[in-house]
Amino acid sequence: MVPGERVSGTASSDIRWYKRAVFYEVLVRGFYDCNNDGSGDIPGIISKLDYLEWLGIDCIWLLPFYQSPLRDGGYDISDYWTVLPEYGQVADVAQLVDESHRRGMRVVADLVMNHTSDQHPWFVESRQDRTNPKADWYVWNDDDQRYRDARIIFVDTEKSNWAWDPQRGQYYWHRFFSHQPDLNYDNPEVAGTMLDVVRYWLDIGLDGFRLDAVPYLFERDGTECENLPETHSYLRRLRKEVDSLYPGKVLLAEANQWPEDVVQYFGDDDECHMCFHFPLMPRMFMSVRREQRYPITEILARTPPIPDGCTWGIFLRNHDELTLEMVTDEERDYMWSEYAKDPRMKRNIGIGRRLAPLVDNDRRVAELLHSLLFSLPGSPVLYYGDEIGMGDNIYLGDRDGVRTPMQWSPDRNGGFSRADFAQLYLPALMDPVYGFESVNVEAQMRNPSSLLHWMRRMLEVRRQHPVFGTGAMDVVSTDNPSVLAYVRSSLPGQEGPAQTGAADEDGTEATPDHVLCVSNLSRFAQPAQLPLQRWEGMTPIELVGRVPFPPVGEQPYFITLPPYGFYWFGLVGRSTTATGG
Amino acid sequence: MGEEWLVPEELPRALVDVLGAYLARQRWYAGQGQPAQVAVAGSARVASGVPAQGRLLWAVVEAGASRYQVLVAERPSAEAAERLRGHDEALMGSDRRVTWYDAVVDSEMAVAFLRAASGGEQDAHRARPLTVEQSNTSVVFDDRLILKLFRRLSGGANPDVEVTTALAETGFAHVAAPLVRWQRDGTDLAFGQQFLAGGTDGWALALTSLRDLYGSCSSGGPCEPAASGGDFAAEATRLGQVTADMHIAMAEAYGTSDSLAGEWEEFVTALERQAGELAPDLAVDGHPLFQRLQEVAAVGPSVRVHGDYHLGQVMRTDTGWYVLDFEGEPNRPLEQRLVPTSVFKDVSGMLRSLRYAPQFALRERAEGELAVLEPPARAWQDRNCQAFLLGYYERDGIGELLPSPPEDREAVRVAFELDKAMYELGYERAYRPDWASIPEAALARLLSEPVEVLTALPGRLEGDPGDDEAADVEETDH
Repeated sequence: MVPGERVSGTASSDIRWYKRAVFYEVLVRGFYDCNNDGSGDIPGIISKLDYLEWLGIDCIWLLPFYQSPLRDGGYDISDYWTVLPEYGQVADVAQLVDESHRRGMRVVADLVMNHTSDQHPWFVESRQDRTNPKADWYVWNDDDQRYRDARIIFVDTEKSNWAWDPQRGQYYWHRFFSHQPDLNYDNPEVAGTMLDVVRYWLDIGLDGFRLDAVPYLFERDGTECENLPETHSYLRRLRKEVDSLYPGKVLLAEANQWPEDVVQYFGDDDECHMCFHFPLMPRMFMSVRREQRYPITEILARTPPIPDGCTWGIFLRNHDELTLEMVTDEERDYMWSEYAKDPRMKRNIGIGRRLAPLVDNDRRVAELLHSLLFSLPGSPVLYYGDEIGMGDNIYLGDRDGVRTPMQWSPDRNGGFSRADFAQLYLPALMDPVYGFESVNVEAQMRNPSSLLHWMRRMLEVRRQHPVFGTGAMDVVSTDNPSVLAYVRSSLPGQEGPAQTGAADEDGTEATPDHVLCVSNLSRFAQPAQLPLQRWEGMTPIELVGRVPFPPVGEQPYFITLPPYGFYWFGLVGRSTTATGG
Repeated sequence: MGEEWLVPEELPRALVDVLGAYLARQRWYAGQGQPAQVAVAGSARVASGVPAQGRLLWAVVEAGASRYQVLVAERPSAEAAERLRGHDEALMGSDRRVTWYDAVVDSEMAVAFLRAASGGEQDAHRARPLTVEQSNTSVVFDDRLILKLFRRLSGGANPDVEVTTALAETGFAHVAAPLVRWQRDGTDLAFGQQFLAGGTDGWALALTSLRDLYGSCSSGGPCEPAASGGDFAAEATRLGQVTADMHIAMAEAYGTSDSLAGEWEEFVTALERQAGELAPDLAVDGHPLFQRLQEVAAVGPSVRVHGDYHLGQVMRTDTGWYVLDFEGEPNRPLEQRLVPTSVFKDVSGMLRSLRYAPQFALRERAEGELAVLEPPARAWQDRNCQAFLLGYYERDGIGELLPSPPEDREAVRVAFELDKAMYELGYERAYRPDWASIPEAALARLLSEPVEVLTALPGRLEGDPGDDEAADVEETDH
């Protein structure tokens, strides 16, 4: 592949495309409403594919679109084989996949394997008595004392992981809401049926799945019922099935755990291809607030190496709250006091806010955080609307505050839908700062200095340097705690600039590439001296403007950064003069 | 160093002749002006791994009343000129053919020295010298290992090497791991440790927090440390924990004694006398505080301490705080630095440093801002001193090294804070009169404040998600 070309191309030979891809998370209901019923739909996404292609997205991640009573945003599936009618039909999904592939983009979708809706016919049957054919498809027990070591995840709403079912006269197990009974993976019929589901959607053309809540598939006495060996062994079975029948697909695990536990989900490159890096996200915010790099570098130092074929999914915000499960109590107090000044902003153990309000709508901070997202190891996942700096509505219940309609234009309903305002699934934002009249795609596309154009440009630069996705990372130490510097390098372990270029195993990089990223996490201008002697003789070229900087000498490299400033430098050549001659 | 790595070798006469001028230019040279005579006490050549056409010479020389260690690179003059670019101070001299210069500026030579000093156990791709310190030169290898070359030799074991090694042997993980120790005839000549890449010293980190606080105050943001983004209290608490662990490890490595108990009365009397001399206007004579200090029944055990403990001696890294430089207060004689004393010797050093930092950062600001910034500066000091102490006191196992009851514990702390503040006052009046007002204010504060026992950190956040209205959100349509 030529650097600069879209990574996907969707060629079947490029089976590790996800290591260089930029993901974009789409709430089907909130993106674009094609049939004017007040709710977004899959044809709506198809009609906006040109926009996503223009922005530079490689892979769309669809939040659940399956049949569902929607008591948990579609994470409560009541039929795995059909699409929620208001979103469209299976044929629409097939068309979305085709149209995306035609544009060089891929599509992955959420899949909830751990539990179903209590309205799923399997559960309706299972709860009838103790002897029906589906009696053993869920986890039933006579009392609510079993598996007491398992923590309660939705502490705001749930008091126990067990719920009483008067019909069957037994308790059923649920790790999430009580209307989401956990499937019983010890039952081979369940384990086999879920593989059927996976094959069905891959046959339709999906490029993979984001696997929801994977740590909880199995339960065992005397354990926390998370990360059990049985769960890993099921994932290996799933991976084997996918790799053998559908090479080039991706499995992305949602395992909200510490990095040393999450890495188990990569297995020996025989479980998931990708996992989300949850603890990194709150720490990026914390670093900026504290004006020092340690929250970030600490968690990176704590992150074990992962198999070659795997990568992290990293993100700033998503459809859930800003999760604070993976921070210490003291850090959580800190995050709450800094970012959730109004108690309504708190959700479970997290903060229910979008990116722009989290950073007080400071464009410099938003850009700095995105520059980290695009340059730290892992594949970035953008959340719809963050590319234009959309706001939130903390007065909406639960996590709906960050799920309001995409703002396309200053027209009625922000150009999202031509339905009556009262008919919208959630009201579009109309406040003076973040409302659709001031924040929308159309206005920002017309304004070359908008956040949207900045985002597109940075994604373009990122695409020109696959090393952002595939390279090793070396932290460059500096005395100034407000400055974070690292080099992304295509030849890990190589001392100094390589003399000869060798194609890596993906066959994508003919010449070695080194990118130096320097960020100022402080609100004040900062100096830094970087010990870059390993790259002595090379010239840093600022990647956005292509301006050559003085070459690296044998002394520490001196650099100054404006408040919240950052630079990406390509380190090139062996020249000894600033002009590159 | 295995002796096979070094072979005896006379220094060229022409080199010895220029060493006096070279020594006189070095920061670590103790004498005044160029020494009348330089005598070579011992010299050798590194026998292997040295670049072709070059030689790496090592010597201990006597000049004036002191002994110095020198490391000389010898290269053909044209090549030497190339390597000396930007390092004029390193040049020693030359003859018709070769040039001699300080080998630490020559990456290849420094690596050859590392191999020799470690007996072949350590190797590196490249070296870079750090800024030169008063008594030694440090060279960093591959951002992995830092080698300290002792320049002015006092004979015998170096206290920093000795304590660092002893602490590491107890399993204390917050010193940079010792990797190379090169001695000759019982004298420490070089010491290599893990390089704490990505570290910043505590002083720089505290200033970052303070600049954030002051910046917030000046721009209408929150103006109290607990509410500002750059709050340092969590760092101070962790630093307190590491400090307690360090003292526990010291007690394990060196044992404890009750030497301070026998000297306590004398110590307090000296404090009172010295305070009267330094601050005659504070009505020190007969001040009830000293009466209170004399009443302390049990001053607690004495242990080997760091001795010069402040924010500049601790390093924040990706894996927490590390403690550096166990040489003790450089202005005190070596024997004094080794005497066991109360752990509050170190604790008070850090507390004083936490009180200096906000004052230092205030001096970066404009005169007109001071009225606004002084209250948050005081609040920062109090908050972080308390956070540090809480971290320290709450550590398992530290209780055995502290005086009890807590009232006496705090009295001993105050005594050592007074001692430290007076040391500072003497120093500032002699060298930086503009700064004397900082320890002067400390003295006045310590004499006027009651001796209080600390219980909780003011402004600590309560975080229980169940308590707020978010819990009341209905469970619909998630």
